[in-house]
Amino acid sequence: MTYKYYILSILLLLVSWRAKAQEGPIYTRATSYGLGFTSLQDTYLSPETYKGWEVRFSRETLHQTKLMEGKIWQQTYFQGNFGYTDNRAENNKTATALANWNYGWYYRQPLTHNFNLLLGGTADLNGGFTYNMRNGNNPVSLRAHGSIDASVMALWNLQVKNRPLTLRYQASLPLLGLMFMPHYGQSYYEIFSIGERGGTVKVTTPFSSPSLRQMLSADYPVGKVTLRFTYVWDAQQAHVNQIKSHIYSHIFMIGVVKRFQKL
Amino acid sequence: MKRLLLLIVPLMLLTSCVREENYADSPMGNFEALWKIIDEHYCFLEYKQIDWDAVKRQYQPYITDDLNNDKLFQILGNMLAELKDGHVNLYAYHNTARYWNWYEDYPRNYSEELVEKYLGHEYRIGGGLRYRILDDNIGYVTCTSFSSGIGNNSLSEMLRYLDICNGLIIDVRNNGGGDLTNAQRITARFTNEKVLVGYMSHKTGKGHSDFSEPEPIYIEPADGVRWQKPVVVLTNRHSYSATNDFVNSMRYMPQATIIGDQTGGGSGMPFNSELPNGWGVRFSACPMFNAEMQQIEFGIEPDIKIDLDPVDQAQGIDTIIEAARTFLNKKS
Repeated sequence: MTYKYYILSILLLLVSWRAKAQEGPIYTRATSYGLGFTSLQDTYLSPETYKGWEVRFSRETLHQTKLMEGKIWQQTYFQGNFGYTDNRAENNKTATALANWNYGWYYRQPLTHNFNLLLGGTADLNGGFTYNMRNGNNPVSLRAHGSIDASVMALWNLQVKNRPLTLRYQASLPLLGLMFMPHYGQSYYEIFSIGERGGTVKVTTPFSSPSLRQMLSADYPVGKVTLRFTYVWDAQQAHVNQIKSHIYSHIFMIGVVKRFQKL
Repeated sequence: MKRLLLLIVPLMLLTSCVREENYADSPMGNFEALWKIIDEHYCFLEYKQIDWDAVKRQYQPYITDDLNNDKLFQILGNMLAELKDGHVNLYAYHNTARYWNWYEDYPRNYSEELVEKYLGHEYRIGGGLRYRILDDNIGYVTCTSFSSGIGNNSLSEMLRYLDICNGLIIDVRNNGGGDLTNAQRITARFTNEKVLVGYMSHKTGKGHSDFSEPEPIYIEPADGVRWQKPVVVLTNRHSYSATNDFVNSMRYMPQATIIGDQTGGGSGMPFNSELPNGWGVRFSACPMFNAEMQQIEFGIEPDIKIDLDPVDQAQGIDTIIEAARTFLNKKS
């Protein structure tokens, strides 16, 4: 009898844990792959604008937290991209590889029963390089910057043919950050071999680094999976140490969305 | 949707473009682009007292819309030659514009045939260096480029092999340069202490006198085998760029003597850029100085000036190598 009592107790405990887990927040995780057009200019490497293609991977996790009665949402967003571009004369190329990681918190403000506005901020970290295939002592432009961004998200839940359609727009604008940038005519030999690094890390503001990352996505179930179709307009710009640089990307992405609860 | 637009539009307006306007791919556009690159980035305009605006006034009238590529290339090449700099080039598929008067106008003071005669057939090769022990127990090392990697292990092995020699000759005649770190790796074998050998600076803006505070360059003693006996560095007018820097650094090594002709110079680390039509441009960007903060762009004078004697050369004798051997034998 005692034995059966213990078994029953354990089963009740498991059911209770399961019930608790079902009360936990729903996570939305999307993994997407994209292809698009990119245009870049970096006056440390060349005064010319380079244009070409870009491939991009992204992985995003978004979930509602228990804070402030569920009004606080948390987002983790990682993306990696590789771009390959030609100069105007099409006799030289650059290769760009970048990684970007965002960790953000948002306050949800419902505007209607199916339209939510999320306002918040993100920690935005970026690293990578642009390599110019022809340059000798200035072949590469290293990219390393981090910032605190203002971020806004609009979520619109609709029904199309009795199936849920989620439209989302998100924009992130760096407000204050730190950026690595060589001086105007400084060689990497001076920075890394001689060790002259003074002034190569600068504070950035929307005036010196007026960047903006925007996304428009649609989540729609097709069969048993939910697909995400995303358009990304990514404008990363800087005018630091009298070096001008920009990378403008227009990327179309497709991915799979998973929704799950964490135990 | 209206709400979405209300969000998007203000954010897009906040983002102003950061871009450098590109010149037209026309004869005048390419001329203007090249002139601007040199005007804003070339590091010796002030030192060489070049009036770059006057150069523009001189060459611009030759630029017309109907210029063919050959003619345009010739005019742009002539304009760049005003800089009198071996690190300045214009690259196109059909030609490379260059200024080589810094060695073409002077005695060659080098014969590959003679060097091969001195090396014989049994010389060793390590880390891009060729070396052997000469009959009078003097080590002879020839280095014709600093472009390929010179490894620390190869240097240690070479110095161990030459350890029995009374003196060492490092021949960098006709070495047009390469990687600074390769040159400095060799120099580090000739000092037991940290030595100040020069300074380096860079442009901080577009102005002709916008430079950073010169940063000192030190040579720190290598961890491996180090040479403790007299060493002679052989130079000629074709010892250029990273080799000029090597010779400058070796001047501050305690046992080193420079013998031969003045080096060719080339103390500005070159950067690359390009024109709208895709032609590549190379120019001196970061000036390097000696330890007394003097320019070495036009070369370094040797401690002992000596030219290759044509009569010696006809008899298979390299006058400069022989002068170094005599010098080292007297020292030992």
